[in-house]
Amino acid sequence: MGRNEIRMRRYRMSAGNISRHRNYSALMDQHEKNQRLRRVMRVFMYFLIISFIVIILVIVVRWEKKQKNKSTGKPNPTSINSIKPVTFS
Amino acid sequence: MSAEEIQQEYEILEKSKKDSNAFGLLYEKYFDRIFTYIFRQTDDEDLAADLSSQTFLNVLKNLAKYEFRGLPFSAWLYKIASNEVKKHYRKGKGVKVFSIEEERVRQLIDEAHEDWSEELINRLLTYLKELPTEMLEVLELRFFEDKDFKEIAFILDITESGAKMRTYRALDRLRKNFNLKIKYDGKE
Repeated sequence: MGRNEIRMRRYRMSAGNISRHRNYSALMDQHEKNQRLRRVMRVFMYFLIISFIVIILVIVVRWEKKQKNKSTGKPNPTSINSIKPVTFS
Repeated sequence: MSAEEIQQEYEILEKSKKDSNAFGLLYEKYFDRIFTYIFRQTDDEDLAADLSSQTFLNVLKNLAKYEFRGLPFSAWLYKIASNEVKKHYRKGKGVKVFSIEEERVRQLIDEAHEDWSEELINRLLTYLKELPTEMLEVLELRFFEDKDFKEIAFILDITESGAKMRTYRALDRLRKNFNLKIKYDGKE
């Protein structure tokens, strides 16, 4: 068994035969479809990246706020642990 | 191909970068050649049509990246077509086929001043079967597509001397086995 299969063709593909497969408008339609899909994908990717950045930014801002409150000793109203228990004397 | 024709094609390509409809002229000009080139490597009309369409779609997609490197635009087209065929076979879809035209083989044998016989053809087919794919690719581009070594090197992503070496080795074996005198560069 050889590495490749070699076939000898008695006929040559005629121009008429090949022209059955030549369709420029179909190619352009497919190209435009692909372009639209690429554009949609690109917008979606940008949306994902921007969303990711916004989420990271929100997390960082909250963390900074928490750190700031910790350092000034100001109770954090959102945290239950920060509420001092009421004592009756 | 003359420098003027290369320049004309380059202008069409520049236009196509802004308006892809302008590419139609080059599509009409090269579709048959690309189809035949792919068909020779697949021997399947529908598959050749699919891969040809894919080739032109890739060209349209990457048109903005095209840079003129002193070679005709067709070299770039053949390179993309060759990659499409390789991609198809990499997916494990059978043994690579080389379906060569008897008419062209007869012509080459005539040029080598040899007599055409069934026995010679059978030996030639056996010999070609044993050749590595890389050598067959070079021989195909050289003797069936009439490409020069610079273009072959670009299409197959090898050096020009590498393309010459592969052709030389394949023809050297042919000379030893068959006493055929097919010219190394086809121009002597």
